[in-house]
Amino acid sequence: MSEASVSRSPASPGPSIMRVALRREDVAVGDELIRHRMVSRVIHWVVALFFMVALLTGMPIFSPVFGWMATLFGGLGVCRWLHAWSGIAFSVASLVMIVHWFADMKLVPHDLKFNLVQYMQFSAAEDPEIGKYNAGQKLFFWTIPLVTLIVLLSGIPLWWPTKFGYTLRQICILVHDVGFILWFVAIVGHVYLGTAAEPGTFRSMTRGTVTSAWARLHHPKWFRDVTGDRKE
Amino acid sequence: MGAIQGFEIRRSSASLHGSGTQIRTLPVVAKYIDTSTCIGCKACEVACQEWNDLPVAQTEQVGTYQTMPSLQASYWNLIQFREVDYQGGVAWLMRKDQCMHCADPGCLAACPAPGAIVQYQNGIVDVDPEKCIGCGLCEPGCPFDVPRYSATNAKMSKCTLCVDRVEVGLEPACVKACPTGCLQFGDKDTLLAYGKHRVEQLKTGGFAEAAVYDPPGVGGTSVITVLRHGDHPEWYGLPKDPTVPTTVSLWKRILHPVGFIAMAAALFGTLGHFMTVGPKKPKDTARTSGGEV
Repeated sequence: MSEASVSRSPASPGPSIMRVALRREDVAVGDELIRHRMVSRVIHWVVALFFMVALLTGMPIFSPVFGWMATLFGGLGVCRWLHAWSGIAFSVASLVMIVHWFADMKLVPHDLKFNLVQYMQFSAAEDPEIGKYNAGQKLFFWTIPLVTLIVLLSGIPLWWPTKFGYTLRQICILVHDVGFILWFVAIVGHVYLGTAAEPGTFRSMTRGTVTSAWARLHHPKWFRDVTGDRKE
Repeated sequence: MGAIQGFEIRRSSASLHGSGTQIRTLPVVAKYIDTSTCIGCKACEVACQEWNDLPVAQTEQVGTYQTMPSLQASYWNLIQFREVDYQGGVAWLMRKDQCMHCADPGCLAACPAPGAIVQYQNGIVDVDPEKCIGCGLCEPGCPFDVPRYSATNAKMSKCTLCVDRVEVGLEPACVKACPTGCLQFGDKDTLLAYGKHRVEQLKTGGFAEAAVYDPPGVGGTSVITVLRHGDHPEWYGLPKDPTVPTTVSLWKRILHPVGFIAMAAALFGTLGHFMTVGPKKPKDTARTSGGEV
């Protein structure tokens, strides 16, 4: 991230966009738009932190190929309990996240027109009706509670081995692993689209802001809503 | 007690080095149990508790000669009594319940902690509590329902075939204590031949179905049992054709490779996408290009 490229226009003497972004989002300040206010960003990163801890403590249990990850936390014995607690923390944080984003992530009939394969071509004509989140983002968002529930429920018998029967635990291992594999693939896609694939996106989760050009390109309807259909 | 240093390890749980890491082939040991000469005196149980410094376990009245329903984390050797209707009468069956020390151990296959369960070259399957993380995954991995997770130390435990005695050339404590000689310890091939001889005797004595229980589904075991009713191991509480559970194979042989392929596909897929399709940037302005991630 190059701070130099983020210009604060001398023509806008109002409050610094960073200060506005502490409390407000979906507003335009100068040539930038605030996409995520501070609380949204904090929730995202808390969820991300617990996710990463759960992921990195779970992978060495999944396979010894990832055994080196256990050393990051002090060994496999630490992973055995840290994985469970970080999983609980992740589930709770996810719940907060879902409540927080619930309204923004509501599916609308227009979302049915979204075609992921076509979207990933990056060359198709922009759909001017894409709001703050496109259907792919919503799909990823709603996958979280679904997979969280599956992985959380299948994780409980594995956490307390003496309390559950052998058959249930055997099924839970398989379900837990399938959930992990789905999640790994999903998170790689999420990180890729949020960083390298779509420049200008990552700062929306750090500074909270995006440029007008970014908003017009990725979320035209959101841009119009925020700027009051202001013509450039 | 950790893994015995003097013994070569044939297989280790969650190992990246595969199995059969040793070039030398050493004789496989076995414990021989002749249920037809067992008198149910339970001297083996006492010897086991004593030698392994295990606390006295509380007995539980279950309505038969059985002293407690099953093995416990601190009770590794239990004589199972079974009464079965047989030829208009009752067959009163006893069996020594303990770790079978499988040649292909399901517990070891299911264990995710490197080196927590090891199989020595001589066939003994041992637990290293220092490496055990107490996840309990070995329990459903065992077709004989042997490993026990203890909440006391959050580790699993089971019979070690007295590996600390075997290491110094002694027989297991239970074998030492057995008054009838129904327990023997030694080279597995020798004891299998001995068992075969005993089975012939039993057949002559009217038990046509007598057999040595050495189930091939787990590659054979280092605890072999002579059964009068060899066609009905389930009468003794032994599984008829034990194998490493399908879920363990599904998990280790199918889900693991599928997972690795999916993970690699995700990582290389994004890289490939970036190299062929490239980033999606606003087209109209130069000031958003480069650097601004």
